Amino acid sequence: MTSALFLVIAGLGIAAALGTVLARNLVHAALYLVAFFFLVACQFVLLEAEFLAAVQVLVYIGAVAILLVFGIMLTRDVRGDETTRAPLAWSVPAGLVALGFLAVLVAGIEREAGLGSRLRWGAVEARPSVGPDELARQAEQGRAVDDMGRTLGNELMGRYAIPFEVAGLLLTAALVGSIALAAQEDGRDVAPAGPGRAGRRVGLRRRHRAVAVPPSPSAEPAAAEAPPP
Amino acid sequence: MELTWAFAAEAYRSPQPTAIEGVPWLRWAGWLAVFFGLFPAIMAYFVWGERKVAARFQDRVGPNRVGPFGLLQSIADAVKLLTKENIVPAAADSVVHLLAPILLLVSAFLTLAVIPFGAGLAAVNPPSGLLFLVAATSLSPLSIFLAGWSSRNKFALLGAMRAVAQLVSYEVPQVLATLPVVLWAGSLSLVVIFDRQVEHGWFVLSPPGLLAFGILTIANIAEVNRAPFDLPEAESEIVAGYHTEYSGMRFALFFLAEYLGVFGVSCLGTALFLGGGTLPFVGGWQMRVLGTDTWPGFALTNVGVVGVFSAKVLLYVFAIFWIRATVPRLRVDRLMDFAWKTLVPLAIANVAVAAAWFELAIRPGGPGKVVGWVVTTPLVMGAVLGVRAIHRAAAPRAAGGAA
Repeated sequence: MTSALFLVIAGLGIAAALGTVLARNLVHAALYLVAFFFLVACQFVLLEAEFLAAVQVLVYIGAVAILLVFGIMLTRDVRGDETTRAPLAWSVPAGLVALGFLAVLVAGIEREAGLGSRLRWGAVEARPSVGPDELARQAEQGRAVDDMGRTLGNELMGRYAIPFEVAGLLLTAALVGSIALAAQEDGRDVAPAGPGRAGRRVGLRRRHRAVAVPPSPSAEPAAAEAPPP
Repeated sequence: MELTWAFAAEAYRSPQPTAIEGVPWLRWAGWLAVFFGLFPAIMAYFVWGERKVAARFQDRVGPNRVGPFGLLQSIADAVKLLTKENIVPAAADSVVHLLAPILLLVSAFLTLAVIPFGAGLAAVNPPSGLLFLVAATSLSPLSIFLAGWSSRNKFALLGAMRAVAQLVSYEVPQVLATLPVVLWAGSLSLVVIFDRQVEHGWFVLSPPGLLAFGILTIANIAEVNRAPFDLPEAESEIVAGYHTEYSGMRFALFFLAEYLGVFGVSCLGTALFLGGGTLPFVGGWQMRVLGTDTWPGFALTNVGVVGVFSAKVLLYVFAIFWIRATVPRLRVDRLMDFAWKTLVPLAIANVAVAAAWFELAIRPGGPGKVVGWVVTTPLVMGAVLGVRAIHRAAAPRAAGGAA
């Protein structure tokens, strides 16, 4: 029963993934992606990890997919159907890379290059617990299934505290970086003459001059040119 | 490394199985009847109730032509919506246009699935029920976007953009405001949260609980697009927002989903902070006296518990109607400022105060509730006044920079 369900969900998942890649309309592709995320959540439920399933829906559908459609809304092509098809010269190497990645994943998961004391994935029937030495700690595994939120919280605050913090730092750095990039583009006209109302007016006047006179390459290249795409 | 509290070893389920858990088919048949029969009917009367309430606030009579007190108005409305022609714009994306209201309705129904309406009366009780509820709620911005996008209508798209920005922003304080409850109950299951409130009293009856309840209520109203946060469907600005191009039954689905959303957030507020179906200060005396393991005990207990729960939910819904009838609509920039610069910092500060309350009043062997009130009241006041002071200090600078 469970394996039949797994096959159905996996098949639908592959169909949704193909739909994501092949859909010509951006919003349709995003919808297929949402379906794929949802089917991954179904797989988590099948693996008795309902906490992860809820997190999967919350993070990937509630945040990532929303950001995707937000991105589509902010472009000029709101309908999302003016997409171009990748030329064959690019799609063949891209396909090769994807296949190679799949091979690496399969080999890596099967050989389980993780904690040393673990069995190979192909050799165990039960779902491994979040703790090490899962065969010796059946009771703990049961508790982890029953109360995954608490177990996960303890692990994140204990064993995985440093990786968790590092991931948080990385995200913060990415956030600060993106704000810096966006702010730079925004304040380019204002920047040279200092803060406040006067500086802005000067900046505007300069730009008018730069537009009126043919731009000399050394003077103010950034103000005269169109912003980079 | 074991960060378990004194009561954490207890199972996440209710202590003893209730009578109805022994008869699975009856349970499922009952829930199907309640979800797809009773709830839509209640929603129809919410519409009638809202029209009556709004009419009273505006010194009118409200619906009074169809039946006594206009009680049959809802049925007339439902028949009208069912029989109206369904018009899909020629340029619309027909599949997505159909999918959007269905997805919104699924999200609204899923939200209700984990609510404990009575003792042992939750449709499903996953160990991380609150997270499930939040995840189900997070589907609604997507469906509203799809509705606006698929209509190929400028007003619909504007409404969808407003809705997505607003819902994503207010989801953050909404979830942060539920964190104190999770901390105090030591579980994500709404049933355990209910049990803890039977034990410790309502969670709203504490300074951090009061603040969290306030934040949750504001964010709840914003999450269901009610006035003063009804920018996504502001009639005076963008026709009807994301459902401009919907008519007939599909429009009725949006209507149903909106009122289910109001009902859902009211149930959430009641279950998390207002003690579910318990009366104040007496706890769960019915459950102790009558028990829930025999059929008569189960039935008698739940008549009281579900009755009290419904009364609280109705009061909460009435408050939402009241606010809608009296408060004018916010401006878009103030809406965003309020979420990100007021509610989110307050909610984060409140989590820290909630930890203090846990140590003082809830953890077994702590000094007790009186000390908890004495210590956390100034902390909460300080958080509120601090955020307000930072706003006052930052406002002139922000205005000068924008000029």
